[in-house]
Amino acid sequence: MDFRPLNDSERRQLLAALRGNVESDRVILMDRKDTSFVGTTDEVPDDEVISAIKSVPCHY
Amino acid sequence: MESSSNLLDSEAGKRRLLSIEIPVIERYNEGRDPAYRIRLTRQGGGLLLRYALKPAHNRYDLETRLIASYPTVPPETRVLTPLRHCPHLLEGQTLCLWRQGSTRASSRWDPSRYTCVFAIQAAWRWLACYEIWHETGDWPLPEAK
Repeated sequence: MDFRPLNDSERRQLLAALRGNVESDRVILMDRKDTSFVGTTDEVPDDEVISAIKSVPCHY
Repeated sequence: MESSSNLLDSEAGKRRLLSIEIPVIERYNEGRDPAYRIRLTRQGGGLLLRYALKPAHNRYDLETRLIASYPTVPPETRVLTPLRHCPHLLEGQTLCLWRQGSTRASSRWDPSRYTCVFAIQAAWRWLACYEIWHETGDWPLPEAK
């Protein structure tokens, strides 16, 4: 595939979201239609639970 | 107590599918673009979920396998879209998510709390890490102990 990289601002936002997810249990929200990154939140409305990525206890 | 825990053939397996996994897949698919919905097919004694994720600008095709002994054994997810070799990527582009091959005690997969959609969300986070690693060469999250 032709890989389209993140620009600096996008990379900083995504990095902050990932670290906030791991370190502070902040929830990452993905877009309802195409799963792209939307932002982070502390409170998740019920209808967005399915698109909310809570802190994932993964190996990586 | 049932001697078999086969996902598709045992009562416990069917109950798990009908009361937990299928409803959560249906909910995941609601309002989602068709290209990003989960497509479900039977594979042996288990199920295969095919779907796509796009954490940033790039779309990745993936599949998550629920083998016959799921949910006791965690789902296995691999990326079908070619990736560069990177940390936390196993043979066949399988994602190292739950420390495959570990004992149940050390596995991070908890069948009483997680569903197949949780595995998809874990894959999304892995791909977000990959997007950053691709540009910086550093995996952005520390390895869990």
